[in-house]
Amino acid sequence: MELDKGLISGSMALLVMKLLEDQDLYGYQMIEELRRRSDDTFHLRAGTLYPLLHGLEEKGSVTAYEQTAENGKNRRYYHLTKQGRGVLAEKEAAWNTYARAVGQVLKGGACLAGA
Amino acid sequence: MQEHETIQSYLETIQEQIRWKRARPVLAQELERHLEDQRDAFIKEGRTPKEAERLAIGDMGDPLEVGAELDRVHRPRPQWGLLGLTLALSCAGAILRVSLTAGWSFEAIRLPNTILSLVFGSACLLGMYFLDISRLARHAGKFYLLILLFMVSSWFWSPAPYGIPYYTRYLALCGPTVYVFCLYSLRQKGWIGLFLAILGGFALTAIPYMAPYANATVSMLLIGFVLLLCAVRMDWFGISHKNAVTFGLILAAVSGSAYILHIAPIWDRLNIALHPELDPLTRGFHGVQIRKILESARWLGTAPLDIGNRGLAGFLPEASNDMLPTTIIYTLGWLPYLLLLAALTALLVWLLVRGLKQTHQLGRLAVVAVSLTLGFQLLFSVVLNSGIVLSSAHLPLVVGNLHTMLDMALIGLALSVFRGSSIAREEAVTPIRRIKRIRLQIEYQ
Repeated sequence: MELDKGLISGSMALLVMKLLEDQDLYGYQMIEELRRRSDDTFHLRAGTLYPLLHGLEEKGSVTAYEQTAENGKNRRYYHLTKQGRGVLAEKEAAWNTYARAVGQVLKGGACLAGA
Repeated sequence: MQEHETIQSYLETIQEQIRWKRARPVLAQELERHLEDQRDAFIKEGRTPKEAERLAIGDMGDPLEVGAELDRVHRPRPQWGLLGLTLALSCAGAILRVSLTAGWSFEAIRLPNTILSLVFGSACLLGMYFLDISRLARHAGKFYLLILLFMVSSWFWSPAPYGIPYYTRYLALCGPTVYVFCLYSLRQKGWIGLFLAILGGFALTAIPYMAPYANATVSMLLIGFVLLLCAVRMDWFGISHKNAVTFGLILAAVSGSAYILHIAPIWDRLNIALHPELDPLTRGFHGVQIRKILESARWLGTAPLDIGNRGLAGFLPEASNDMLPTTIIYTLGWLPYLLLLAALTALLVWLLVRGLKQTHQLGRLAVVAVSLTLGFQLLFSVVLNSGIVLSSAHLPLVVGNLHTMLDMALIGLALSVFRGSSIAREEAVTPIRRIKRIRLQIEYQ
């Protein structure tokens, strides 16, 4: 199912930071990992990802460092900072509240429709 | 969307959208690596190289949009406030040097020399401000060796009044900042790297030690040690923090003790510095004279003190150089002096706090080195001008034409780190632990 782009664009920072919660990744790995975790639902464009990552870096939510990857090529790895973890926790809480509220409204709508 | 057949032409279009020229190659490099990964993945799926490249480009998105987004994020961060404050303080220092010593029969600071130093100092400040520190980072080891060689050679070409090479004393103040590049060039070299880093630090300490310039030696030892610990903390050598810190502490204790013992009789010197009245005619002379001025100084205005018919330079030798702060207190009063100190302290604290927030490790350490170097100078100068005469020291941006130029260059370097922080990149290194692991795996197989 193709998702509405507007629906996911607002939460893209949340998803990217969530990917970095457990391990440092470089851009290409993030896109692959997001696709894998979402069962091919989220296909993030690299052209969207890098400005987003650089913006998060500016805000101090992530830091980046160059390292030679295991394939011998140099890659820029991103790391979620302590500040970023705090932002992630806030965003996750806000998202859960939002998702619960939407679910309740949808559930209520279904009840009314059935009545 | 415009059709692009090759990665290069696609990247060129993106780069054309980014207004900050210095940012273009830095950002393009990361995108190029991504496109190559994506292209290789498509080739593995069975596509032809040409088709794979085209698909990878299409996958990244519209180059105009991508370029515009990157342009929005990456802009130089002008440091007009700090540049202005540095220039204002340098001008204030120049005015004080010339006006307070005007009419003195000796030791007067000449106006043309001061103007020239201010012009060259401003050029140094701006030149360093626009410098790209990441370019220096690529040749960090060579840069360190070049400056070290220059410092050592200054022994031979520098004029040496009283047998002390004149310019070497000034160059020695760059030691801690240059040391940052030495440390950076030894990243991920393990214990050998740490050992070479210590040797590199000693080489830089030997220069002011032999000059001799006590406060630059102490500064280099202390700041160098702090920088070394910071490098260990940032895992630059790829060795256990605990082991490296223990090793560093032992080394600091040994080298510090050796230095103190070597410059004996330190206790006698300290005793005279604290009690100059014990030897008021020779070793305690400056201390006694400074204290006389301070005791009679007013909050505002000239101190009511009989300084004799030879003027202040006769009453207090070096009154236009290291003792210029005492001259300020004598002529203008405590309040202008304290305001000047407050402004200088604010500048240095501002530099240090902002430097510590930098994510680029080399930049962070360079700013720490600059602010600590100038901070130590300020501290030594305050101590000296309180009547505790231990070593020669200059008040940053205020005392000395050549010193001011050097201070401005160092501050310019620190500001360049802030200006280019958005595109500052660490050079890639292969972690030594990983190499060892790979070697072990090969041996096992």
